[in-house]
Amino acid sequence: MRKNISLKVNGQQYSLEVDAKDLLLHVIRERIGLTGTKEGCGTGECGACTVLIDGIPINSCLYLAVKAEGKEVLTIEGLGAAANLHPLQQAFIDNAAVQCGYCAPGMLLSAKALLDKNPDPSEREIREGIAGNICRCTGYVKIVKAVQQAAAELQQLERGVPSEPAFGSPGCREHEGSCR
Amino acid sequence: MLLNTFEYLKPTSLGEALSVLDELKEKKTQVLAGGTDLIPWLRGRVKDVDYLIDLADTGLDHILFDDDQGQARIGAMVTFTALCEHPEVRRRLPSVAEAALQVGAVQTRNQATIGGNLCSAVPSLDGAPSLLVLGATLRLQTQGSERLIPIEQFFLGPRRTVLQPGEVLTEIVVPLREDFTASFLRMGRRKALTLSIVNVAAGLAMDGQQVSQARIALGAVAPTPIRAYKAEQLLQGRKMAPELFAEAAAVAATEISPISDLRASADYRRKISVVLVRRALEIALARQKKTQTEVRAAGGGV
Repeated sequence: MRKNISLKVNGQQYSLEVDAKDLLLHVIRERIGLTGTKEGCGTGECGACTVLIDGIPINSCLYLAVKAEGKEVLTIEGLGAAANLHPLQQAFIDNAAVQCGYCAPGMLLSAKALLDKNPDPSEREIREGIAGNICRCTGYVKIVKAVQQAAAELQQLERGVPSEPAFGSPGCREHEGSCR
Repeated sequence: MLLNTFEYLKPTSLGEALSVLDELKEKKTQVLAGGTDLIPWLRGRVKDVDYLIDLADTGLDHILFDDDQGQARIGAMVTFTALCEHPEVRRRLPSVAEAALQVGAVQTRNQATIGGNLCSAVPSLDGAPSLLVLGATLRLQTQGSERLIPIEQFFLGPRRTVLQPGEVLTEIVVPLREDFTASFLRMGRRKALTLSIVNVAAGLAMDGQQVSQARIALGAVAPTPIRAYKAEQLLQGRKMAPELFAEAAAVAATEISPISDLRASADYRRKISVVLVRRALEIALARQKKTQTEVRAAGGGV
């Protein structure tokens, strides 16, 4: 059964004809061409395919594309751009929180949804917030640190204070690392 | 991709959904709730459908505390996130919030619904044990009729329920009792994103030091979620004593029929059941002494 749907992905409006059986994950990757969203297990057990629908993280491998009618979807491509990274993305780089990178798009979106809801999470709350995203490289310690750094930076931004990592701190991006 | 296509219908009211389901009851029709269980099934072609009826827009996402009637009414399409974040559920039905909080992980809880969880009828489903000890009833509706059944009568076997073609679970009705306190515990291979090896709920009403009512329910240790009636009976009328809960837990372990599978052996399930039943009873008892209840055992972490 074919069905027309219109949805917003990363702020851009799309109108597509999809089959009732098409999963949102595959429509995002193959029809819209945004391949940052990954397919891992395909059964909702790994979180690699996480996207935000109206701000809420879901597994796009368990979500029929027809259900996305009228919804706003955020994928990793909409979180930040290479020239203008989201604080979470920068924090993942600063903390070496990415190893193979396959879980990173989903991990980042879960972290964003967490910080949107709870701007100052405890370590435990961070671990619960990303519990639906499995990192097979097991890089959780650095991922948690990155989310903590991003939370602090986002809160500073919120307060209008420019965020400048301390001289020599892991977050310091000046001096090409020579200050460390 | 899913291999087979189907007609997708999204009725905008419960009445419309029931009428559509009535019309299509001779066909291979399936109701869609959160999809976290159904989509992998369709994908694996374990299940084949011609019509998928999405209940997302049928308004079954209510949580109502009706003190005049002494009951809470929970819509079948309430997600686990909505359930475990609801302040009144957390305060007045903590065992329900505890179960909701430990299903899958954030994404799963955002999609999966309490009604879908029950209708999946998998033996390990986390939604059932608390509702079993709380004495919940389920509202099953068809076009033009409805019936209320105790949740004990809902499950027939793995993935089998009493739902008839054209019939939908629309609401879960939970009696509200101040004197009865309950708790839920689960054990899985990890804290998140894994099916329960054993899940347990226990509930107590006390008359001073004497147990005036006890209810115990377990999941993942029998073809359906079950009550441990013999253990409940053992507790009935007994005076609190140091080994009483351990004694009841040992009896509960004789009432289950666990299997060995890739998650755990039958023997391990039996041993864990003893521990969880005892602990769940202890928590239920501790809650008798408090007016303010903290929801225990937050969801899993990595």
